[in-house]
Amino acid sequence: MDGLAVIGIGAGLAIGLAAMGSGLGQGNAAGHALEGMARQPEASNEIRTTLLLALAFMEALTLFSFVIAILLWTKIG
Amino acid sequence: MGGRMAQLAMVMEELKPAVVFHVGPIPITTTVVTTWIVMALLVVIAWVTTRKMELKPRGWQHLPEMAVEFILGFLESFLGKNGRKYLPLVATLFILILTLNLSWLIPGSKPPTMDLSTTLAFAVVTILAVQILSIYEVGVRRYVHTFTSHGLALLPLNIIEELVKVVSLSLRLYGNMFGEETVVTILFILVPLVVPACIQLLGILFGFIQAFIFTLLTISYLTTRTEAH
Repeated sequence: MDGLAVIGIGAGLAIGLAAMGSGLGQGNAAGHALEGMARQPEASNEIRTTLLLALAFMEALTLFSFVIAILLWTKIG
Repeated sequence: MGGRMAQLAMVMEELKPAVVFHVGPIPITTTVVTTWIVMALLVVIAWVTTRKMELKPRGWQHLPEMAVEFILGFLESFLGKNGRKYLPLVATLFILILTLNLSWLIPGSKPPTMDLSTTLAFAVVTILAVQILSIYEVGVRRYVHTFTSHGLALLPLNIIEELVKVVSLSLRLYGNMFGEETVVTILFILVPLVVPACIQLLGILFGFIQAFIFTLLTISYLTTRTEAH
C-alpha cells in the first residue's frame, strides 16, 4: 500500500468515525430532550435552548475531524 | 475516475476565496467584497425601515424590531434585566452573521463565513469583548480570582480554556458553512438537478441555526464570565 492510499483511508476514517460518534451523542441528547418536552410541554422552550447548546458542542468534535480530513485530503490532490 | 478527481480538485480550488484586486501589498479577496456588499445592504435596510419611526410599528418597521426583540428575549432569559447592556454586541453579531450566512442567495457570491479569516475575526472579537466586559463588570481582582479560584495549579488550564473557546467558536461556524457548501458543489457534479436544491434549502435553515448558535454561545460565555463566583 502506498502512502497516498493510507492518507485517503485515514481521511475517510477520520470523518466517518467522528460522524458516527457525534451522531450517536446527538441522537441520544435529542431523544432525551424530546422525552422531557413530551412530559413537560411548559418547559420546552428552556429545553430547546439547552439542547441547541449541547448539540453545538457535540458538533464541534465532528468539525475538528472534518478539518483534519480536509487537510489530509489536500495532501492527495 | 481520474477525470472526476480532477473535477473535484478544481472545485476545491474554486471554493477558496479568490483575490479580486490589491490595495498596496494587501490582497482584497471575494470574502471582503461580499462582506462589504452585505454591510451596505444592512445599512440601507436599517435606514429605510427606521426612517419614519413610530411608537406603534407599521409596515417594514416590524422587521428590525422583530430581530432586536428576538435577541433581547434570549439575553434577558439568561442574564435578566442586566442583559440589556449587551444587546448592541450580541444583536450586531447575530444580524451580521445571519446575513453573511445567507449571502450565497446573492447570485455569484459565496458566504464570507466559509472563509476561516472571517470566523476567526468574529471569534477573537467576541472572546476579547467577553473578557473586557467581565473585567468591567466584576472588577480586576475578582476577574483574576475566577482564574485562580480552584488553586494556582489550574491557572494555565483556565487560560487555555479561554483560548480554545476562540478556536472552537471560529471552527464551528467555518466548518459548518464550508462543509455545507462543499457538499452542495460536489453533489452538483454527481447529480446536477433537484438534489442539490434540496440541500440548499436545508442550507438556509443551517445558516440561521449557525448564526443563532454563535450568539447563544456568546451569551452563555458572557453569563459564566460576568456572574460573580
